[in-house]
Amino acid sequence: MAAPTDAFATRTWETWTEPTIVDVNGIPTAYRRQGSGPTVVYLHGERGTRAWLPIYAKLAENFDVIVPEHPGYGDTPLGEGFSTWQDWILHYEAFFRTLELGEFHLVGDAFGSWLAANLAIYYPDRFASLTLITPMGLRLKDVTSVDVFRLEDDEVNEIFFNGRRDKVKHLLEQENELEDYLQAYQEFGSYALLAWNPRYDIKLDSRLTHVLAPTVVVGVDEDRAVSNEMAKRFADLIPAAELKVVHGPAGQPSGHHVTFEQPNEVAAVIADHVSKNS
Amino acid sequence: MSTSDIAARGIEFFGFIDGAYKNVPWAGERKSNYIDLTNKYYDPIEGQRALSNQLDVLEDLEEYGFDGAVFSEQHNGPIGLGANPMLAGAWLAARTNRMKIVVNGPIINAYQSPVRLAEEIAILDTMTKGRLVFGLPMGHGMQHHSIGINPATARARMAEAHDLLYAALYNDGPFEWKGDFFNIPYVNIWPRPTHKIETILPGGGSLETLQRAAKYRYCYQNALSPRASMVKTMERFRELCREEGYEPTPTQSAALFTVHVAETDAQARREVEELELWNYQNFFRSPGHDNFPPGYVSAASVRAMRGGGYRSTPVHELKYDELLENHWLIAGSPETVTRMLTESIEELGIGRALLGFTTGIKPKWLTDKSISLFAEEVMPKFRADKGKPLVTQEDMTGYRTASEYAALRRPGAHPPTAEVNGVLKDVSRSYLPDAEQ
Repeated sequence: MAAPTDAFATRTWETWTEPTIVDVNGIPTAYRRQGSGPTVVYLHGERGTRAWLPIYAKLAENFDVIVPEHPGYGDTPLGEGFSTWQDWILHYEAFFRTLELGEFHLVGDAFGSWLAANLAIYYPDRFASLTLITPMGLRLKDVTSVDVFRLEDDEVNEIFFNGRRDKVKHLLEQENELEDYLQAYQEFGSYALLAWNPRYDIKLDSRLTHVLAPTVVVGVDEDRAVSNEMAKRFADLIPAAELKVVHGPAGQPSGHHVTFEQPNEVAAVIADHVSKNS
Repeated sequence: MSTSDIAARGIEFFGFIDGAYKNVPWAGERKSNYIDLTNKYYDPIEGQRALSNQLDVLEDLEEYGFDGAVFSEQHNGPIGLGANPMLAGAWLAARTNRMKIVVNGPIINAYQSPVRLAEEIAILDTMTKGRLVFGLPMGHGMQHHSIGINPATARARMAEAHDLLYAALYNDGPFEWKGDFFNIPYVNIWPRPTHKIETILPGGGSLETLQRAAKYRYCYQNALSPRASMVKTMERFRELCREEGYEPTPTQSAALFTVHVAETDAQARREVEELELWNYQNFFRSPGHDNFPPGYVSAASVRAMRGGGYRSTPVHELKYDELLENHWLIAGSPETVTRMLTESIEELGIGRALLGFTTGIKPKWLTDKSISLFAEEVMPKFRADKGKPLVTQEDMTGYRTASEYAALRRPGAHPPTAEVNGVLKDVSRSYLPDAEQ
């Protein structure tokens, strides 16, 4: 399927690259692909669509990196009737099939790791390795939840970027304030379909034990969005998973969106894990 | 158009009374008073006062000569204590005789099943002898945060819930419902409504709501939109009714205004200016992410709102004169209120005015004073039949006396039957000797 080039005429922001659009069971699915070597599919998080981010570029130095945009995110429309996790999971299984991917490695970033974990549960033989970065989705009864649906802009900065968003704003700002808000509102609507109620999956605790792929969980110094306990718990539940904490510089504890702030350090952890399992 | 022209055509006046709990911190110091203001501020004695004042004023509206009494559903905050407005409806049903009881309304998405709401509506319709009118509001954005409704699916769920509610109320049961959100093998409500119940759809102009109101011949109620856009919306609604092949009745077009009447314009301003500021800074104030949670409105609507179209001034920044200018507030002497109401009724083409006399912030005596002045010095000018409300011209349903019961009941009703000594027997007269049964 040809990319709708005209629609992209106004996309001149720093991180913009034109995606390829492929038909996946009727859903025109946008993805970006660069590099060569073992294939790594990277599932993006709550932010960072319509962009080729530094962490993708870093990984593409050594790997064939594929970054699809989830249904309801970026330039991939929400599928007709999409409303549950199964819709997204089946979409990705079909996406992998459409691209005729053989052996490959799966990486999930934040919200994308919730999807990646589900894929690794339902298709335990499919992935050569699994990397989950600041994952989310477990019910942590003893942790006070952050209501991500009610955050003021300054709270987003404090909670997701530990107050340092200004340093990466060139990765986040795109067309203009209104258009960026509208894009985020639409994507947030897709997120709400999956995570408004409940905001966790009570089945994940038992189902994560089905994961067979060698797994690394990337934690951070101070995950204010979902708590440090979340990554630890994922690592505890997935058989033989290893928790690796990417630390921030002195006095700047790393946070939930560590992939924006420290792309090279996170890419190094992924590269190490992928290389060991290729 | 003069008041007598309006009287000749007919206008229903519904008093809209809310029961805010007012002793709370200013909402400007926090995000919103709708969702997570701690209920430690709630004093049960003060709460009883708020609820009692609301119910007492609602009840009194009948004696003042209103056509109906309206109240809303609110959750999780001091904005209103009517978490289940059907309860207030039942209370009013027992304490009034003639006016319409307008539950505006149950938030259908707050019900696990719309069949339960259909049952409650049928009970209240029976209890009120057909005086129930119910609204089906979407529920504002804050409600979705408060009670866990997923805003991303709320519109689709509500659309199906409406269709199921309608079928449950008016179709013979049992029937099976096979929907996206509800699968109920046996929809079969008891009791059933006594008639086709009047329904109000409150809306801010969305086409989907206008179309549904037109299709089902519901009343469409507009509020809190800029004056010019309200005019366009009401005209659009009537066009949609005509596209459905009928001319809408005047009472299908409704609008909500806040009203205060005093002896003079200056006195009205003295009495309510600061109380209205409280309303708009506390009662109506919420940030964007609370008002419009993800998926709650379309991207096109968000674009219009953020792009400076619809309601571009935040409501909490509105001042008294702006409120008067756009007729969100109709306040002043009886002459001023009469003039402003006449203008709005004419330009909106409405046959039903919902008049908000208090959110609960006014002292009760002040609410009573304003309503009393309205009832005696404004409302009669809009009445064609010696000050009588329109509602007195309508038949009620059901019966009022034992004699009416006997005359009206369905003939040939199935006798209550039991098997006695191997024989099926009508037990309704079994207390009599066999020969006299």
